[in-house]
Amino acid sequence: MDKKMKQRPVRCDGVGRRDLLKVGLLTGWGLGLSQYFARVVVAQSQQRQTAKACILVWLDGGPSHLETFDLKPDAPAEVRGPFRPIATNVPGIQYCELLNQTAKVADKLTIVRSLTSPLGEHGLANQYMLTGYEPSPALVHPSYGAALIHLQQSSGALPGYVAIPKAGSAGAGYLGSAYEPFATQGDPAHPSFRVPDIDFFPGVDVDRLDRRRAYLEQFDQRQAEFERLAPSRDPAFAQAYRLVTSNEAKSAFDLSQEPQDVRARYGPRTFGQSCLLARRLVERGVPFVTVNYSGWDTHADLVLQLKEGYSGAKSGVGLIPTFDLGFSALLSDLSERGLLEQTLVVAMGEFGRTPKLNSQGGRDHWPRVFSVAMAGGGVRGGQVIGSSDRMGESPRDQPITPKDLAFSVFTLLGLDPNTELLAPDGRPVPLNQGGQWIQGLT
Amino acid sequence: MLTVLSWSWFSVLVFLAPQGDDVCFDREIVPVLTKAGCNAGSCHGAAAGRGDFRLSLFGSNPAADHRSIVDAFQGRRVNLHQPDRSLLLRKPTGELEHGGGQLFDLNASESQIILKWIGQGARRHAAPPLERLMVTAEQTHFESVPNQTNVRAEATFADGTRRTITELVTFTSMDPTALRVDSGREIQLLRPGQHVLLARYMDHVEAIQFSAPLGDAPSNAHWETAENFVDREILKKLNELRLPPSPLATDAEWHRRVHLDLTGRLPAIDAVKSYLQSVNDTTRAELREKIVDELLNSSAYVDYWAWRFAGDLRMRSFPNEKQPLAAYHDWLREIIKQDQGFDRLARLLLTSDGDSHVIGPANFGRTVRDAREHAELVGQFFAGVRLGCANCHDHPLDRWTQDDYHGLAAVFARVQRSRYVSFGGRGDVTNLRTGEPATPRIPGQRNLPALGDHRSEVADWVLDEQQDLFARVMVNRLWKALFGRGLVEPVDDLRLTNPATHPDLLALLARDFAANGFRLRHTLRRLALSHSYARSKESLPGNQADDRYYSRAFPRPMEPAIFVDAIQDVTEISEPFAQANLERAVHFVDSSLPLPTLDALGRCQLGPSCDATPTGTYNLSAQLQLLNGAVINQKLRDPRGRLQRQWAENLPLEQIVQEWYLVALSRSASPTELEHWTNELATNDRQEQQQRLEDFAWSLLNSRAFFER
Repeated sequence: MDKKMKQRPVRCDGVGRRDLLKVGLLTGWGLGLSQYFARVVVAQSQQRQTAKACILVWLDGGPSHLETFDLKPDAPAEVRGPFRPIATNVPGIQYCELLNQTAKVADKLTIVRSLTSPLGEHGLANQYMLTGYEPSPALVHPSYGAALIHLQQSSGALPGYVAIPKAGSAGAGYLGSAYEPFATQGDPAHPSFRVPDIDFFPGVDVDRLDRRRAYLEQFDQRQAEFERLAPSRDPAFAQAYRLVTSNEAKSAFDLSQEPQDVRARYGPRTFGQSCLLARRLVERGVPFVTVNYSGWDTHADLVLQLKEGYSGAKSGVGLIPTFDLGFSALLSDLSERGLLEQTLVVAMGEFGRTPKLNSQGGRDHWPRVFSVAMAGGGVRGGQVIGSSDRMGESPRDQPITPKDLAFSVFTLLGLDPNTELLAPDGRPVPLNQGGQWIQGLT
Repeated sequence: MLTVLSWSWFSVLVFLAPQGDDVCFDREIVPVLTKAGCNAGSCHGAAAGRGDFRLSLFGSNPAADHRSIVDAFQGRRVNLHQPDRSLLLRKPTGELEHGGGQLFDLNASESQIILKWIGQGARRHAAPPLERLMVTAEQTHFESVPNQTNVRAEATFADGTRRTITELVTFTSMDPTALRVDSGREIQLLRPGQHVLLARYMDHVEAIQFSAPLGDAPSNAHWETAENFVDREILKKLNELRLPPSPLATDAEWHRRVHLDLTGRLPAIDAVKSYLQSVNDTTRAELREKIVDELLNSSAYVDYWAWRFAGDLRMRSFPNEKQPLAAYHDWLREIIKQDQGFDRLARLLLTSDGDSHVIGPANFGRTVRDAREHAELVGQFFAGVRLGCANCHDHPLDRWTQDDYHGLAAVFARVQRSRYVSFGGRGDVTNLRTGEPATPRIPGQRNLPALGDHRSEVADWVLDEQQDLFARVMVNRLWKALFGRGLVEPVDDLRLTNPATHPDLLALLARDFAANGFRLRHTLRRLALSHSYARSKESLPGNQADDRYYSRAFPRPMEPAIFVDAIQDVTEISEPFAQANLERAVHFVDSSLPLPTLDALGRCQLGPSCDATPTGTYNLSAQLQLLNGAVINQKLRDPRGRLQRQWAENLPLEQIVQEWYLVALSRSASPTELEHWTNELATNDRQEQQQRLEDFAWSLLNSRAFFER
C-alpha cells in the first residue's frame, strides 16, 4: 500500500475522481485524508524560510505564452507570431523583445513554461488558477489570498487581502465575504486617487464610532437571543473599524506620499501605479495583494493589442510594454528595499493562447500549456522550469498543474497545503488537494 | 455474421448482429472506458483529446469512439492477432507509459472484457439506443450513519429488452465525504442529511438521493394532517430527517416578513399598529388573508416583482436607445399588475415581433447577441436548464445533447435583432458536432423542418404539462423569494443531476401553478399563507444547523436595492440617484447601468453568473460605506429627515425610540427596551442629544434585526 501511495496513479489532471475514490477507500481502512496527503508531501517542501507576503499580478484574459516568456522563433510563421526573442541578463534565457526591461531582471525570475490545465473557458480557468481546485458546483473554493488571511487571522489595521483596483474572480468562495479582497477601486494613476469611504463621515469621530459599535452590539445581541443562536460577529465590521481609526493604515493607500522619481519609475499608467501601490501595502505588512490587469484576451490583432495599444502609437503602450515597465520596476524596487526575499511575486493569467494565429491575427484560448513568472519569497532567480514542445502546444517536460502551483505557492507562504479548512456544512476541506511541489523552484 | 437491420433508428445500413456472448461495444466497452475515466473532459474526452487519442465526452458518440479506437492511428490501438498487445490495453494497464497512469491491471474485469472484445474482432454491433436507465437501492433512507446498501441499475433499450447493468454503470457521489461508492455497487452513507449519487450509463445519467436523520427529534405523523400540500411536504421531510419544526412566528415577525417578501417594502407604521391591535386567535387567519390580498394588489407588489423578473430576464438598455427598456419594463409591469398568466408571458417573450420601442416583449431577443445566447437564455429562463455546456459537447450532467443545443439555437437563427424585430431572411447556426447548419429542434424531442418559424413550438415545449418545465422553474423562483432558498439551487439549474430538496413539493407546486393559469398571485398567496412560511426565526436545539429543510425561518438579508429603499422609507430622505425621475432602487432594472451605492453594497450586476442571493455579511468595502459613506449617515443628518425633525421638535425620548422600533423593526419596543434606550440616550446637552440619536438610529439600521427579512 505504501508503494501505491508514493507512486500515485496521476491522471492527466493530477488527481482525479478515481483517486478521490481511493482516498475514500483508505479512510475506510482507518487512514484519514490528512494523513494520506501528509504522506505524499514531498519532504523538500518543509523547513523552508517562508515569504511574508505575496503580490499576485493577475493578467486577466489569458496572456499569450508565445508572446511573453516562451517564444518559438524556429516555428513556422503562423506559430511564431509577430515578435522576436531577445537575450536576458541570464545567458541562455530569452524573453519576448517587448519585455526588454523585464529581461534585465531575469536573474530574479523563475519562468515555469509547462503549466497545463484542461480548462479553456475564462470563468472556469480563473477559478482553477486562482484556487488550485477545479471548479465544482458543489463548493466554490477560496482564492489564495482569502485562504491565507483566513488562516493567519491578522488583527492589523490594514486589510490582509487587497485587490487593486478590482477583485475580479479572486473571491473568498465558501469562506464567506469577510475574506473577500478589499478592492481599492478607482485608478491609482489618477492624481485624485482615493480609496472610497476610508475617512470618517463629517462630524463623526472615534468616540462616536465607539458608541455606534456598542449600540450595534446591543441590537445584535438581542436578536441572537431571540433566535437562540450564538451572536455572529461580522469580521468585516471589526476590520473596517480598525482601518478607519488608524491614520497610519489609511496613509498606506496614499500614493502622493511617494517621491516623483519612484512614481515615474513604474510608468504613468494604471498598471504601473497599481504595482507601486502593491509595494507600499506589502511594505506596511499587507500579506496578500492582487494587481488586476485585464485585457489579455487577445483574439485579434496581436500587434495592436500587445504592442501598440492604439493604432499609430509611436512607442508601444500596449499590454506587454505596460506590463514590462510596471513589473520590472516592482521587482527591482522590492529588491533594492530588501523586500524581495520575503515577498513572493507571481505573474500569470488563466491560460495561454493557441499556437496557431487565427484569421484575425490573434490567438484563442489555450490551456494545454502556458507560462507563469515567479520571483522572490525564496524562489530561485534566473531559471526556467519545464518546457513546452516545438510549437508551444503541450508540455514537453515537467508538466505543472494549477494544483501543483497552488501547492507550491501555499508552501512558499508558509502554509501547510494539507491544512484543513471548514466548508459551511462543517466538513473539512484541505487547502490543496492533489498538488505537488514544483521541483527546482527554490 | 452480416445482417441487414431494419431498425428504424439506424441510418447506417449494415451492422454486425451480436451473437449470444459477443461483447457489445456501445453497451459494454464504452461504459468500461467511462468508468475508468478515459473519456472524461480532463483526459481523452477533452475536445482536443489527449496524446492524439480522442474520445467523445463520457462516450456520447460511440461511432466516433469506435473509429478512434479501431481505425485511427493506423489501427495500432487494437491488435486483432495478439489482443493483449493492443495499445488499448497496454496503456491503461500501465505496461506502456501512460499519462493517465495505471487504471486497472491485466487481470481486472475491465481488461478481460476489452480483451474478449478485441479477440472477437473489435467490431461495433448494432445496439438499439438506451431508452431508460433505472437505478434502485435496497434502501434510500436510513435511521443512522454510517450505513450501507446496494444499488442496482437496469437498462431498458429501445427494442424493449431489459438488462441488469449495475457493474457497467459509473457511480459518482456528489460529496464523497458523505456518500461513498465501494466496489461498484455498495453505497456507504457516512454523514447525515440528504446526499446525491449520480449514475451514468451510455448516454443517460440519473440521480438518486439517500438520507439519514440530521436531528433526533421524535418521529411524529403530524404532517399527515396538514391542511395543504406545502405544509404536508415540508413536515414530511422534517419528520424523515428528525428535525423539530420551530414554533410559529410572532404576529409582528410574520407581518414584517410578508410585507418585505411580497412587496419589497417595510410595513408603514399605521399598518403595524392596526394589525397588532386587531390580531388575536380568532381574527388571525382572516386578517392574514386580507393582508396578503391587499399586498398582492398593491402598486409596490408590481414594482417589486417586475424588478425581480427583470433581473432574471437580464433587462438592459441599448446604447442610444431609451425606449426599448421602458417599453419592456412597462409591459412586464402590466402583466404582473393584471395578474396575467405567465404562460402568456412566455408565449409573448418567445414569439413577439415588431417595433421594440413599442412592443415590450419583442426586446427579449434583443437583450442577447445571437441565436446561441438566445437559446441559452430560453433554456435558463423558461426551462431551468443551462444549455451552455451542450455548445461544445453533450451536457455531461443532463440529458441535453449538442444537437439539442444547436437545434434550439437554429429556431432563433433568423430572428432579426434590430429595432424592428422580425423573423425571416437569412441566418443559420452551425452545429459544432457536424459542421453543418443545425436542424431546428425541440430539445430532447424532435427535429423540425428547416424552414418555417418554430418559435411557438418552443413555447409549447416549455409549457407542456407532461414536463411542466416553465412551471417548475417559475415556482422554484417564487419559493426562493419567500423562503430564501430554492427547492433547487441554483434556482434555474433544474438538471437531472441536481435534484430538489423536496422533489414532490416542487412537482406539486408546478402542477398547481400551471393548473391555476400560471398566475403569480395564486402561488404567492398559497405560499404566504402556509404554516411553513410562518415559522419563527427562533431556533430549537435540534434545528440550528438546518439551512435547507425549513424547520425554522432562515434569516435573509435584504438585497441591496431593497435595503436602500428601506433606508429611504425609514429616514424619509431619498437616495440621490443620478436619474432624477426614478425614486426607488427597485425602479432601476437596467443591468448595464452602474449604480455606485448599490454596487458597493454588493448589488448583483445582472448577468449569467449572477446569483442574486445576498450572503448575509458585507465585505470591507460595503462595511466602509455603511460606516463612513453617505448612504445612511447623510440621511440621518438631513434636517428634513425623520430623525432631525424628532430632535428639533424635542420629542420625548420614549416616543422617538418607540417610533424607530415601529418604522424600522415593524414592532413595538418592549418596556425593557424602552427603558434601556431612554437611559442610554438621555442627556441635557442638546448637541450631545442630537449625536446620540444619530448614533442610535445608525446602529438600528445596521443591525441584523433591520437588514434581515
